[in-house]
Amino acid sequence: MSTFEEFDEQDYGKLSTPILRRLLSLLKPHWRTVVGFLTCIGLVSFIDGYTTFLGAQIIDEGIIAGSRAAIVRTITLYGAVMLIQAALAFGFIYLTGILGERVRYDMRKKMFNHLQQLSLSYFSQTPVGWIMARLTSDTERLADLMTWGILDVTWAIVNISTAAVFMLMINANLALIVLFMLPIMIVVAFRFRIRILYHYRKSRKMNSKITGAFNEGITGVRVIKALSREDDNLEEFGELTEGMYQASYKAAWLSALFLPTVQVISAIGLGIVLWRGGMQVQVGVLTVGGIQAFVSYVTFIMWPIQDMARVYAQMQNAIASAERIFNLIDTEPDVKNRSRTVETQTIAGDIQFDDVHFYYEANDPVIKGLTFEVKKGEMVALVGPTGGGKTTIVNLLCRFYEPTQGKIYFNGVDYQDMRLEDIQSRIGMVLQTPHLFSGSVRENIRYGRLNATDAEIEQAAKLAGAHEFIMQFDEQYDQDVGESGNLLSVGQKQLISIARAILAQPELFIMDEATSSVDTLTEALIQRGMDRLMQGRTSFVIAHRLSTIKRADKIIVIEDGQIQEMGTHQELINQKGKYYNLYTRQFRQELEAQYDIFTPAERTQTEA
Amino acid sequence: MSEKTFYDLNLSQTITKNRMVGLWRMMKGYRWLFIGATIALAIATISRTGIYLVLRRFIDDVVVPGNFGTNFVVIILTFIGLAVLQGGFTFVSGWMAAKTAEGVTRRLRNYLFDHLQRLPYAYHAEAQTGDLIARATSDIDAVNRFYGDQAIGIGRIILMFVVNFIALLQLNTRLAWLSVIAIPAIIGVSIFFFSRVSKAYEAYQEQEATLSNRLQENLTGVRVVKAFARQGFESYKFDQENWRKFRLGKNLLSIHSLFWPISDIICGAQMLTSYFFGAIMALNGEITVGTYMAFVSLVIWIIWPMRNLGRLIVQTSTGMVSYKRVAELLKEEREPLLEGKYQPSGDAQGEIVFKDVWFEYEPDNPILKNINFTCRSGDVIALLGSTGSGKTTLVNLLPRFYDPTDGMITLDGVDITQYPRKYLRSQIGIVEQEPFLFSRTIRENITYGVHRKVTEEEIIQAAKFAAIHDVIMEFPKAYDTLVGERGVTLSGGQKQRVAIARALLKNPRILILDDSTSSVDTETEMHIRGALEHLMQSRTTFIIAHRIQSVMDADLILVFDNGEIVQKGTHAELMKTSGMYKDIFDIQTRIEVELEKEISSVNI
Repeated sequence: MSTFEEFDEQDYGKLSTPILRRLLSLLKPHWRTVVGFLTCIGLVSFIDGYTTFLGAQIIDEGIIAGSRAAIVRTITLYGAVMLIQAALAFGFIYLTGILGERVRYDMRKKMFNHLQQLSLSYFSQTPVGWIMARLTSDTERLADLMTWGILDVTWAIVNISTAAVFMLMINANLALIVLFMLPIMIVVAFRFRIRILYHYRKSRKMNSKITGAFNEGITGVRVIKALSREDDNLEEFGELTEGMYQASYKAAWLSALFLPTVQVISAIGLGIVLWRGGMQVQVGVLTVGGIQAFVSYVTFIMWPIQDMARVYAQMQNAIASAERIFNLIDTEPDVKNRSRTVETQTIAGDIQFDDVHFYYEANDPVIKGLTFEVKKGEMVALVGPTGGGKTTIVNLLCRFYEPTQGKIYFNGVDYQDMRLEDIQSRIGMVLQTPHLFSGSVRENIRYGRLNATDAEIEQAAKLAGAHEFIMQFDEQYDQDVGESGNLLSVGQKQLISIARAILAQPELFIMDEATSSVDTLTEALIQRGMDRLMQGRTSFVIAHRLSTIKRADKIIVIEDGQIQEMGTHQELINQKGKYYNLYTRQFRQELEAQYDIFTPAERTQTEA
Repeated sequence: MSEKTFYDLNLSQTITKNRMVGLWRMMKGYRWLFIGATIALAIATISRTGIYLVLRRFIDDVVVPGNFGTNFVVIILTFIGLAVLQGGFTFVSGWMAAKTAEGVTRRLRNYLFDHLQRLPYAYHAEAQTGDLIARATSDIDAVNRFYGDQAIGIGRIILMFVVNFIALLQLNTRLAWLSVIAIPAIIGVSIFFFSRVSKAYEAYQEQEATLSNRLQENLTGVRVVKAFARQGFESYKFDQENWRKFRLGKNLLSIHSLFWPISDIICGAQMLTSYFFGAIMALNGEITVGTYMAFVSLVIWIIWPMRNLGRLIVQTSTGMVSYKRVAELLKEEREPLLEGKYQPSGDAQGEIVFKDVWFEYEPDNPILKNINFTCRSGDVIALLGSTGSGKTTLVNLLPRFYDPTDGMITLDGVDITQYPRKYLRSQIGIVEQEPFLFSRTIRENITYGVHRKVTEEEIIQAAKFAAIHDVIMEFPKAYDTLVGERGVTLSGGQKQRVAIARALLKNPRILILDDSTSSVDTETEMHIRGALEHLMQSRTTFIIAHRIQSVMDADLILVFDNGEIVQKGTHAELMKTSGMYKDIFDIQTRIEVELEKEISSVNI
């Protein structure tokens, strides 16, 4: 099930001039298509009205006048017009539909490309589901309004107008009666539609709750059974389905009432027309065909009205969707190139943090005054408790975030004067929970350098120690890794992401070591791969393993956003402070893990 | 609390081979309503047809002869009356159909939800979560549409055809037959097109899913994208899928844009043919003008709705597939919760005996081999062994998530299969290594599964004992914090402590602990240890141990290897004999020595 259902917010938006202008600008590049489908639908709608008029002529000029020729002529004309209408119908369905798809395509493309420019802070503050809902349900709603919505309204307006003109031509007096009934029908229809939509939306909301309940009921079934929660759960679930029942029942009930109500109003109108019209036939003002025409016009007038009402109700939703989409597109990236940047050929060199501060919210600092220096080619180990700020430091280093105060220098140059691309294209990164993309192993490694040859990819995999297990796959390098790589084990993913980083030949290497235990062999492979990567490169490692930490040229103990201790392994052990405690504890754990036959390797599904 | 409130029908018993019969049986209790909806629909349809027949009288008896007597008023009033009747019964029919569909669906949802949570654990361990959810949601939605939309929709079209055709036959037999010549063609074309459409639509939807996945991967992998500066490449990849979706959408639309005009032409040709012959007959005086007018209107109501028949038939066939998928779930057998030959009155003592217990998931591949041991009430039993050695399987047997393939387990001297499962489970508390928490508030998670009113003090007390109170109070909304809410994520250790608090409140006689404290710092570990000790007091406790410290005080240590108990005894006893246990213990001492060595090596 889609995980972003809950973010499919549906509320009302008000149409304002700026929004309208932006909406229309979406159609601007395709104005020819718009003109095309509007012309088609306008003509189709006109022909609808015209054929009814022709139907009346068959009676008056043909049957009543007793002219066979007139019948043949009118029916032929009728047929010809219908053929034209069919051709036009083809035109408008094709044009509108394709325009709709095109607008969806355009909007998704625009949003996606914009998302690529946004800073990491945007993504850490915005749930993935929220963004996905903008590119899916909101886009659908907006595109529908801008194409089928406009089409339906055009059809409806032309239809009613054509009918009105023909009715006025046939009999002005009677036409006025119908035109008098029209606003009543429209108001009733609009009010119905809004109420129906309200309940419909409520039922959708309940529906996503029901999905959530099923999800939990199934994934948490073990706990439910262990705690004998079955009865309580059913009762809670019963409340959800009751809510769902009420909402969808009301929506269906109103829908059932809606058309008959409009029909009855039009029937009353028609009754009046027949009553007045019957008299007029006597006087010769109205013909039998005229009556027939009125019957048709009034019977079918409810369709355009109901269409307009539907579009009106949908529009309010779609405007709210538009507001959210524009909001996304208007978001400025926090981190971007300055107006004047320094040309950078390399970022290899000394790195300096000079009193660096960082916060998301001013009263809640994450990093508080970091100052340190790293020489070219050094390896730095960042250690300390979770939430202490290690990851933020790495994010600052990559310029995913920029310091809110203080400076970071690469080779003595303030890195904010450099171009983002110049920095980030020279960084290699291996994450704690390695992220792969769906596709083959080869494609994933190639992500590090897009123009790499297959031989180079294999070479990188060999260096990373990934080659052996890759060759054991049925399809070797062409093996599909699954969605987000989840067909592979964590250890395998990590090795592939190391190969990817090796291929990138970065000048600065950043690694977030995995905490989850992998089997000893994979562990050794990962270590070896890391060694190869770090050779001769400045590297930062968020380290969890002693072997990694001990090798570091500089160990920085981070806690509470500050440097607690800094130095080499030997220096820090002698201090007998935080690092000493951390080290001895970790030492025991690792050795236990090493010796202890009971320590689980990667936990399997059934165990968890 | 009774199940009756939520579903009054055992839906598992409605399943038969014939899907239509199954769907009919599932409607039990709503059948009259559904029949009512059909009758109302028939009345509405007859009324509308009646309107045109009145119109015929109006033309023939009033307008043409110019006879505006009482007849005129009666006709106008009948006209409006029939319109009201038609509107009224259309509404009644829609209302009843909605009530049927929503009622049947609600019952089905409730039943399926309950059914799923009462299927044996063994079923869930095998089943795919995603597949179950799809059946429970989109397939049920499809069944709902069958009752509310397709069944009644097909009924509507058939009724319209029958009623109007009968009326046409009354007007003029020849004309009537003439007016339905093209109908098989319309239906045929319609079915042909809609089955094509449904295939194209499926492809379109699949591409939608692919596109969503691509987007999701990009968003979740944003750090990788940025770290490799692959924004351009990502845009390119996304654009490919995006464009593919555009193409598939275009394909779908091409089918639509052909179908509607083609069906327009067929329907239009049929209509004009009828008009032509009708007009000629009227001209020749074979029928009256009024008859011609009524005829013209009725023909419209026969021909045009037929275009939708194809759509409904195609959709019904997908609805049937959904029904079958739901029915497959319903056929699965539930595990009885209350059934049991032995119905104890009070709490259990907690004396447990395993007697020659064997277990296998699949034949000839035993996971547990000949397990024998006895534990007294209040004992602490430690299970040691590597992953896959059978520890977890063994504790799964206690709450009867699985039953032994052979042998017997007794609780207080009675075979546990004699107890009702509900009673048995009420006596057992489980604290897992990474416990599953529900997306509700922390308070609700702690009280989850406690079948009584719990005071705030009790909750806080339990949380304090579980060493999680302070953590909870740090959240802005404290106990009302939603688990999994934006920004609030509980670590594995914190989740475990919430589960300990939950178990404390449940106050079971038997406790199953998955003891793992590897990923927490020393202080927290001490807290958890304290919490666990508190929890274990005077309960029979099974500990799945990963470390030797947590088993030293146990009354009975079971060392597992490959599904067998290879050593058994207390710490003191096991230390006296050489074997796996002693080997493991010796490692601890070795570690300290090595640490000493390591530290001193630094301090040269």
